[in-house]
Amino acid sequence: MPTQNKNESRRDFLKKSTALAALTIASPVLTKAGENDEKIAALFEQMPLRLEVNGVAHALSVEPRVTLLDLLREQLHLMGTKKGCDHGQCGACTVHVDGKRINSCLSLAVMNEGKKITTIEGLANGDKLHPMQEAFIKHDGFQCGYCTPGQIMSAVCCVKEGHANNAEEIREFMSGNICRCGAYPNIVDAIMEVKKGGQSL
Amino acid sequence: MDKELLIPTSFADDRVDGVDKVTGKATYAAEHQLANMVYAVFVCSTIAKGSIKNMILADAKRAAGVLDIIYYANCPAVPGYNPYAKDPNKKGYEWRGLKVFNDNKVYSNGQPIAMVIADTMERAVHAASLVKAEYVKEESDTDFENAKADEKKLKKPGEYKRGDTDAYKKGEVSLEEEYTIPSETHNPMELHATIAAWDGDDKLTVYDKSQGPKGTQRELAQCFGLDEKNVRVVVEYVGGAFGSGLRSWPHVPAAVIAAKKVKRPVKLIVTREQMFTTVGYRPHAWQKIGISAGKDGKLTGITHHAVSITSRYEDFGEGIVNVSQFLYDCPNVNTSYRLLPLDVNTPTWMRGPGPATGCFALESALDELSYKLNIDPIELRVINHAVLHPISKLPWSTKFLKECYVLGKEKIGWQNRPTVPGSVTEDGMLVGYGMAGGVFGAGRGQASAKGILKADGTLTLQSAVSDMGPGTSTAMVTMGAQFMELPANKISFELGDTDLPNGPTQGGSGTTSAIGTAINVVCTALKQTLKEMAIANVPAFANLKPEALKYEQGIISVTDNVSINISYTDILKAANKPEIEVVKDSGRATAEAQKYAMNSFSVHFVKLHVHPVTGVIKLKQIVSAADAGKIISENTARSQMVGGAVGGIGMALTEEVNIDNRYGRYTNANFGDYHVPVNADAPPMDVVFVNKADIIISPTGAKGIGEIALVGVAPAIANAVYNATGKRIRNLPITPDKLI
Amino acid sequence: MINFDYIRTSTAKAAVEAKAKSASSQFIAGGTNLVDLMKKGVTSPEKLIDINSLPLKQITADAKGVLIGALALNSEVAENAIIKTKYPLLAQAINAGASAQLRNMATVGGNMMQRTRCSYFYDITMPCNKREPGSGCGALQGQNRMHAVFGTSEKCIAVHPSDMCVALAALDATVHITGAKGDRKILFTDFHRLPGDTPELDNNLSTGPGGQKGELITGIHIPANSFTKFHYLKIRDRSSYAFALVSVAVALEISGNTITNAKLAMGGVAHKPWRLSAVEKFVTGKTATKETFAAAANMAMEGAAGFGQNNFKIKMGKAAVAEALLQASQKI
Repeated sequence: MPTQNKNESRRDFLKKSTALAALTIASPVLTKAGENDEKIAALFEQMPLRLEVNGVAHALSVEPRVTLLDLLREQLHLMGTKKGCDHGQCGACTVHVDGKRINSCLSLAVMNEGKKITTIEGLANGDKLHPMQEAFIKHDGFQCGYCTPGQIMSAVCCVKEGHANNAEEIREFMSGNICRCGAYPNIVDAIMEVKKGGQSL
Repeated sequence: MDKELLIPTSFADDRVDGVDKVTGKATYAAEHQLANMVYAVFVCSTIAKGSIKNMILADAKRAAGVLDIIYYANCPAVPGYNPYAKDPNKKGYEWRGLKVFNDNKVYSNGQPIAMVIADTMERAVHAASLVKAEYVKEESDTDFENAKADEKKLKKPGEYKRGDTDAYKKGEVSLEEEYTIPSETHNPMELHATIAAWDGDDKLTVYDKSQGPKGTQRELAQCFGLDEKNVRVVVEYVGGAFGSGLRSWPHVPAAVIAAKKVKRPVKLIVTREQMFTTVGYRPHAWQKIGISAGKDGKLTGITHHAVSITSRYEDFGEGIVNVSQFLYDCPNVNTSYRLLPLDVNTPTWMRGPGPATGCFALESALDELSYKLNIDPIELRVINHAVLHPISKLPWSTKFLKECYVLGKEKIGWQNRPTVPGSVTEDGMLVGYGMAGGVFGAGRGQASAKGILKADGTLTLQSAVSDMGPGTSTAMVTMGAQFMELPANKISFELGDTDLPNGPTQGGSGTTSAIGTAINVVCTALKQTLKEMAIANVPAFANLKPEALKYEQGIISVTDNVSINISYTDILKAANKPEIEVVKDSGRATAEAQKYAMNSFSVHFVKLHVHPVTGVIKLKQIVSAADAGKIISENTARSQMVGGAVGGIGMALTEEVNIDNRYGRYTNANFGDYHVPVNADAPPMDVVFVNKADIIISPTGAKGIGEIALVGVAPAIANAVYNATGKRIRNLPITPDKLI
Repeated sequence: MINFDYIRTSTAKAAVEAKAKSASSQFIAGGTNLVDLMKKGVTSPEKLIDINSLPLKQITADAKGVLIGALALNSEVAENAIIKTKYPLLAQAINAGASAQLRNMATVGGNMMQRTRCSYFYDITMPCNKREPGSGCGALQGQNRMHAVFGTSEKCIAVHPSDMCVALAALDATVHITGAKGDRKILFTDFHRLPGDTPELDNNLSTGPGGQKGELITGIHIPANSFTKFHYLKIRDRSSYAFALVSVAVALEISGNTITNAKLAMGGVAHKPWRLSAVEKFVTGKTATKETFAAAANMAMEGAAGFGQNNFKIKMGKAAVAEALLQASQKI
């Protein structure tokens, strides 16, 4: 891939540039020369990002290549959202963006400027579990628990979207969330119960 | 035994770790936060066989944030890679399996050949993409179909015979057919991952996705020449494994090597694609069955041959043909099993290892025979029911297989099964019913546990096992409650840390009976200690012998005068002790137990539809009936059975690893192209347990569920497909193209 | 993934201009395919131009038909009241593809632009003329179970993976495009290409200075129709969340028992959605019977040629066409 090294060239260019040298001198917190170059070059490669996660506003600086999933897990340390495939093929990374369920592994973090993200950590109301969380426990809608946050986030939207009218429809509209332990029938039961309960989600 | 059966099967039906799992608080291997941690990413081979001539690292080294790139030429010496050099007696200390970064040899496509360590995940991933290798390529062979035809390429691990060889050839009614399954991957949802952190040169802490913390500890201690006590392995939660976590794969030592070299904690996550080539799979297998019976249905001969693949650097075999030796009563049985080494990564145990593959052939063949005999397939199995184990001639500790037939048959509505294949339709779809049996060993393993009984009334139980999902903690709390006769909410179970007493590796459906036994012994010891403490510290009990006291529901009383009694919490208070603790080992199986054969049994029933034109299969219902001993937790046991059936759906209908033999490279190493079942594939399911305790195996009464949940599902589906269409599919998976 | 530059644009004009300035740039909308391809190293643009703020999300209908903005989400289209009532075939096809989450991210334009899922295209260590012209076609003599049986070339036997596009091809849609030279329209059936000698080109967007994708899709127009009977049939390796082995989109008008108008297209069989014009002519005026459908199915697969593992698609294609026609004809 001939283009792959371009970024490194740009970094080298940045390191050598006088603008960078000036910045280095101007910054009192940066002391070691080599390290300074690295940190400042990194700054050039990042861009500002404002978003809200579980009701908390964040003003961040991120590389454009960082996915929403990796931002949540590795930078905000919200490990509830899971990485199962990293390619939009399993649903473990499902979160809500402005109320819609999406695969956070295929969304660049910078594409979520100004958006409201809800993860599994933001679903419960304090210690009071969300009805879907309650239903997953009651119907044992999981075993190992790894796909569970994605299943629950997806399930909440499945009901909200109006795709939980019968078992067959739920199965189809929950097929974007793979559960290798095979808890599917229990997941369907959990969603049916929440749908029947009619609580506001 | 009667008393055992009177105790409710479940005290606490919800999973004890349920809230953690639904709120995202459960912490899996890659999710532990360590200060100063950096990221390692594998670079994998792009050829299947040969050696590395040169690694091109310049671009990667220049990439931002890169701390180090480790490969064979600069990998620090790993003691377990070459133990003979220092001490020829250390044979047992040699690292099992691929010695990652040990030399420049390439044994399979997708083998880790280098590892980039960088300060952020994105930088490590990018730099890894810049590492290139120049190879000296050798011709590789990954073509199972071709290679198995060459006798010289097969290794001979085992033959078995009783009675006449190939008796089926002279049988009244007989058939001979070949069956194949492709390689299937475990693909648990959690990516395999290891975090390694050194404390000085001789202390290591590892967070790993392991089914056996103690096993991982032992492997790493031996590999890196450390005292076991200086290696701590933490496995708080495991996001599924199904066998892929039964041993340490190359990424585990790799993370440890990286952490040592960069002197910082290192997190190494195996990507989904890399999991296809580094953490095992169920091996591609060919089987041939010859089977015969008299017109009365009595089996007269079974011949069962199997060949399955392994890697060039390791032999992996499993008991594929064993089921034909003992599942049914047959006087003449001969089996053979051989390995075929190819230029692939090493396979490993995957849910139901051996019987899952073997039963596909045997239970399909029995179904075929049933049509030839014109005997109902259930009846055929009942006719050949083995009362004594056909090899050892021992009775089974318990065997309620016939009960499974009765329970499942009724639930699925077996009377509606078409006797002529392809003769019945519902809503324009062909209707088929099928059934097949499953079996797995149920011998009890050894485990230790600790019990800490506190003055506040709580009991903490501990064992260094891990829970990949079946609900081990829930089962242990339930049993603790049962054995100590205390409410479940007073009891907790701690696991997943090698600092705890020796727990077994979670595998082979043996966790519940092994640790359950240890907990039983611990609880017995705690009761004894309470009696002794009452005598020593409570005046009313002074001078009495422990034998004169009894324990019931947390109360110690004098057997002859129950008005003299004291609660366990008051005993601790009287003794002025905040807590008492005991550590006990289950010991090995008793001499009495050696007089029995031990197995769990299942029978799976399937109803399905097949579209007569497009060949699309729609499962309508699955009923799984199990003789798994006493059911400790109805809720989690049922889920495990359902989950196994879903795994069986994958085996039957969707899962297959594809390889391009020209390159020896997988072409569907991802969740988009390797099809594990999705929600829409799973029909309504019912589970029926015989639920009778087997107290010969262990005082828990439990046998095991994990494997029999899957074993037999695939042939039950294949048999139902035949019943619906008249098409017998002997090579899995049964995709729509095979039915048009 | 290289650490690319990223800019946001708010007008089509600005987007096209930004694209023209940078040779190694690409538009990003939903990102469901592009981000995946970037992770796999199949493509490594140095600049991404985020077009999500462009005012191209509307779905507007008039007597002549419906115009769907290129940035309308797949899920929004499938749930849209106009689409559900007047173009249900499209809603059905969209819902047969991907997952609910992906349909919430993917846009109509992006769906059209998605690249083949051929394993050899996706694996940068393998030969692929589409990814790396001249490197050879890995699938031709390799794992080609998923591959094309129509319109193939020695250079490429990949299939277009979309379900939505199969319905749009059947419904006589038109693609609205803008570029440096202004706006233009292409018939949907002319939008995607057959591989020929240039499999690297998926479609007929102009190859301006910004590379193949110099132009920008702004919308899709579907002419009004009076099809009352329709069906999207998709055969795949599992019940959901899998690409088609074969799919068929059918829309019919039936008067009495006579077919008066028919539209058919297939997916999973070619490098582009495969319109069955001859079959449409054949069935028009005929009675809606199983015999008619069987004859139509045979005609549909005339000229199909497999490459080994995918030979079954010829038989499956026939079965699918016949069944889809039957299902559509029986819609009430």
